[in-house]
Amino acid sequence: MAYKHFEAIEKHAGLLGILIAIMVSIGGLAEITPLFMEAHSLKPPPGVLPYDPLRLAGRDVYVREGCYLCHSQMIRALRFETERYGHYSTAAESVYDRPFQWGSKRTGPDLARVGGKYSDQWHRLHLMDPRQLVPPSNMPGYPWLAENKLDAADIQARMRTLRRLGDPYSDADIAGAPAAVQGKTEMDALIAYLQGLGIRNEPVPKSTATPMATSQGGAP
Amino acid sequence: MSSGWSLWVMSLIVFNLGITLFLFLWGPRAKIPTLPDGTSGHVWAHGTLREGIRRLPRWWLLFSASMFVAGFVYLALYPGFGNARGMLGWTSRGQLARDVAANNAKLDDAMKGFANYTVEQVAYDPAAEQMGRVLFDDNCAACHGRAGKGNPLLGAPDLTDGDWLYGGDGNAITTSIHDGRNGVMPPWASLGEDNVNHLVQYVLSLSGAPHDAAMAAAGKPLFATCAACHGADGKGNQALGAPNLTDHIWLYGGSVADIHQTIHDGRQGHMPTWSPRLSDDQIHVLAAYVYRLSHPADASQP
Repeated sequence: MAYKHFEAIEKHAGLLGILIAIMVSIGGLAEITPLFMEAHSLKPPPGVLPYDPLRLAGRDVYVREGCYLCHSQMIRALRFETERYGHYSTAAESVYDRPFQWGSKRTGPDLARVGGKYSDQWHRLHLMDPRQLVPPSNMPGYPWLAENKLDAADIQARMRTLRRLGDPYSDADIAGAPAAVQGKTEMDALIAYLQGLGIRNEPVPKSTATPMATSQGGAP
Repeated sequence: MSSGWSLWVMSLIVFNLGITLFLFLWGPRAKIPTLPDGTSGHVWAHGTLREGIRRLPRWWLLFSASMFVAGFVYLALYPGFGNARGMLGWTSRGQLARDVAANNAKLDDAMKGFANYTVEQVAYDPAAEQMGRVLFDDNCAACHGRAGKGNPLLGAPDLTDGDWLYGGDGNAITTSIHDGRNGVMPPWASLGEDNVNHLVQYVLSLSGAPHDAAMAAAGKPLFATCAACHGADGKGNQALGAPNLTDHIWLYGGSVADIHQTIHDGRQGHMPTWSPRLSDDQIHVLAAYVYRLSHPADASQP
């Protein structure tokens, strides 16, 4: 390479653009590609199970209503986060989340381990109108969820799709979906989903079993 | 990361740093053909713009060199070069463990001190109150309100009055927080609408609230069923968490409609179990904070 070669780069915007793109992409190729490829070989830890039909429906309501825009599900390994929200999140906990709900912004609190923190009734009232429980809250209410009934056939189709992607749903699981969501509303589904978040899938420290592993969650 | 991907990352780093370092070292030494007018001969816009030749300024060279040094030192000390762990062995989880240990060490003396005293005694320690307030706002305020006044929509009790479902001493409060509580008022719709209405009036009469005397009298014999938990005199039972019906304190509201719903549909209030989320030390401090809400003055002090 000699100085004269630079004249070509300086004068041809296309060539300049291609070379810039190559250099800029190096960071992404190094940081994103290995994690992206290795994510497919991640094994679910014991206790992390595919969503049952009701929670699966709730997860889809969560995504549809855009909850992830204000709530993360990603507790970072920082003391002021683990003090408030519990054990930091691990990648293996999200193997059945398609797409993952880590989020990138917190207008509201992190929800990765919110399961069991409040009663079902609290969630119901809070989703209808957050301000009747938390006066300064700026979260919108979602009263229509209590009116929308779940469609069992739709949930079965979602389960079959997820099975094709590798989630271990059995035929019996899929056949049992209509019974599991019989008469349930989207509100019931979302509450079931929220009450299951972080329950029984917290990483177990080497020294002692974590008490979270025995939590009974949000009954009744 | 598998060793294959580790090599991938390493080769990209070598490629990137190799090119940039080469340009940095070679640039100032490059032989640049110079025309008699002092330009490089690169022209734009048909010769209107010509490229002059100046050496890179020293401040830029020094700044750039220091960036390279910082980059290499970082890769040597911290993880980043493929699977290499770096000389410091730093991890974010290790950092978290150190931060938590440092914080615990700071709190340890105070926490050990609190553990030696009962909830009732800790309640009047200013440091404990400060810690308790933070815990209360983070965990309890969503149902009981920041002031601890409760919420009749949820049946979350007012913690500032002297009325307790499960007992108001330090041990009872600690148990309520540690293990949670589950209300078990069954629905009595099976009694029939008339009987429910009679019971509503009788329950109102227990606290001397305005009521229909005739209907209350009709409800009185029915109350035998309720007496199993609420007691024959309606004063409740703290062993079961059955509320006292003779005071004017209503968990779910004291209107005719509220009481009707309570009897007709039952109530299943749920206080979550906090032992998985809070340590025993934290629960001790929190119980002390809750105790103080209804005991603002220290009765044990002269």
